[in-house]
Amino acid sequence: MSHYKIIFTGPVGAGKTTAIESISDIAPIKTDASASDMTKTKKSSTTVAMDYGIMNLAGGEKIHLYGTPGQERFDFMWDILTTGGIGLILLLDNTRADPFQDMKFFLDSFQKFIAETNVAIGVTQMDLSNKPTINDYHSQLRAMGIKPPVFSVDARVKNDVSLLVQSLLYSLDPGIEA
Amino acid sequence: MSEARAILSVKKKSDNQVNACTQNTASRQPQNPVTKPESSLSPEKDPVKKQATNTDEQKKTSKHQTAMQLDEGKFNAFIGSVPGLDVNDPKQFPDAAYNPKDYFQGYVQSALMVAEAKKQVMRLNSGWKPLIIFPHNHEIWLDADDKQLRAFAGVGMNKISGPGMTLTPEESIAASVQESLEKFHDQDAFLWKLAAWTSKGRYPGALDINRPVFLKHWPNFTRLVVTPHALRISALLMASPRTLPEIAEVLKIKPQYVFVFISSAYALGLIGQAKREADEIVQPSVVKKTEQQGLLSRIIGKLRANKS
Repeated sequence: MSHYKIIFTGPVGAGKTTAIESISDIAPIKTDASASDMTKTKKSSTTVAMDYGIMNLAGGEKIHLYGTPGQERFDFMWDILTTGGIGLILLLDNTRADPFQDMKFFLDSFQKFIAETNVAIGVTQMDLSNKPTINDYHSQLRAMGIKPPVFSVDARVKNDVSLLVQSLLYSLDPGIEA
Repeated sequence: MSEARAILSVKKKSDNQVNACTQNTASRQPQNPVTKPESSLSPEKDPVKKQATNTDEQKKTSKHQTAMQLDEGKFNAFIGSVPGLDVNDPKQFPDAAYNPKDYFQGYVQSALMVAEAKKQVMRLNSGWKPLIIFPHNHEIWLDADDKQLRAFAGVGMNKISGPGMTLTPEESIAASVQESLEKFHDQDAFLWKLAAWTSKGRYPGALDINRPVFLKHWPNFTRLVVTPHALRISALLMASPRTLPEIAEVLKIKPQYVFVFISSAYALGLIGQAKREADEIVQPSVVKKTEQQGLLSRIIGKLRANKS
């Protein structure tokens, strides 16, 4: 059976693990470790290899949900994880000092994969920090020459994550029907 | 200093604190955006995090609640329809246009423009519920629930009630407003649903139905009322401009779903229309059917079934 997968990426603390948990049919498999570096200032543990969840489709098909580790020293895994992926979900934390820099970094890092598939961007923590606005993100993206979906997302809310993934899939093919 | 100005002053100070923090961080040594140098800083002093978060913002629950996704079955009950008009009949398309200026929507849009231009908190008095506009935070305060707003949205503002509308600077913010944070709405989300309820499946008369329209960028769907097929329409328009009937035809959906989406997106300034002849002769690209269409469709079905 084919190995279909959707990739979730973004900086440490952006909500990748939580987002996968929101739509996975299994308790996500996490490869957390006690944070020993800068990450520990944000949370006690962090993803060091990857997160993994599954969506079970009618007919027995499975969609594998992979979350990349947020730290760049694990970037050697990113190429491996994206191979054969359907598309990319990029989550950005709006309380970080420069989320635009984060956005550019990840869009650059996954440029090849995005060119072959597509990307949808979720901005988390907007209830804690309402600036920059979603329109500010669109302005930045316009300057980069791309126009992906950008939504406010609470990674704990299934509906938010669901809409973000749906926008990714419709971007790939607006003709698809549920 | 007036109370209103004092409030704005406080809010601006809060924003400045965030900006100042951002600038301070930016002025440090260039850092990798992902991996930061090891540090023993406490979270409060974490340089990659903004130092200030807005606790009031979390209490504005209407602003941050997740989207309502409407399916076709709920459309007429939630959005409504115009008696005696079948907007899905191509012969009746010329009659399926509406002018937002004839409704509360038009007055709200004008008021938003004035408040934004003056950078002044403004109150729109309509003889109904007062509506207060906070342009600095892109917010609207209204003491009415969706059911009440939906009913008022559909009422035509005739020549008698229209002139009764007034827009006045709000010099002092009442305690009842400051204490009712849940009645603050994001300006775009408010205008989006107001336009949908005003439209009732019609399209804005300012648009030429036979000229292609384009979408400037994706709407922030997680905080809007998601009308049937709105995501598909967005994806299609992001790929290339199309006329309204063409969108319905390509996606094999009823025109009312296109019209209501276009009405809301147009109210937010997200819709543009080809003005020059050269723009019109650009043929829209054919929608490419992906090899994985069946699979993608099953994933969408799964996601929508689990949307609770």
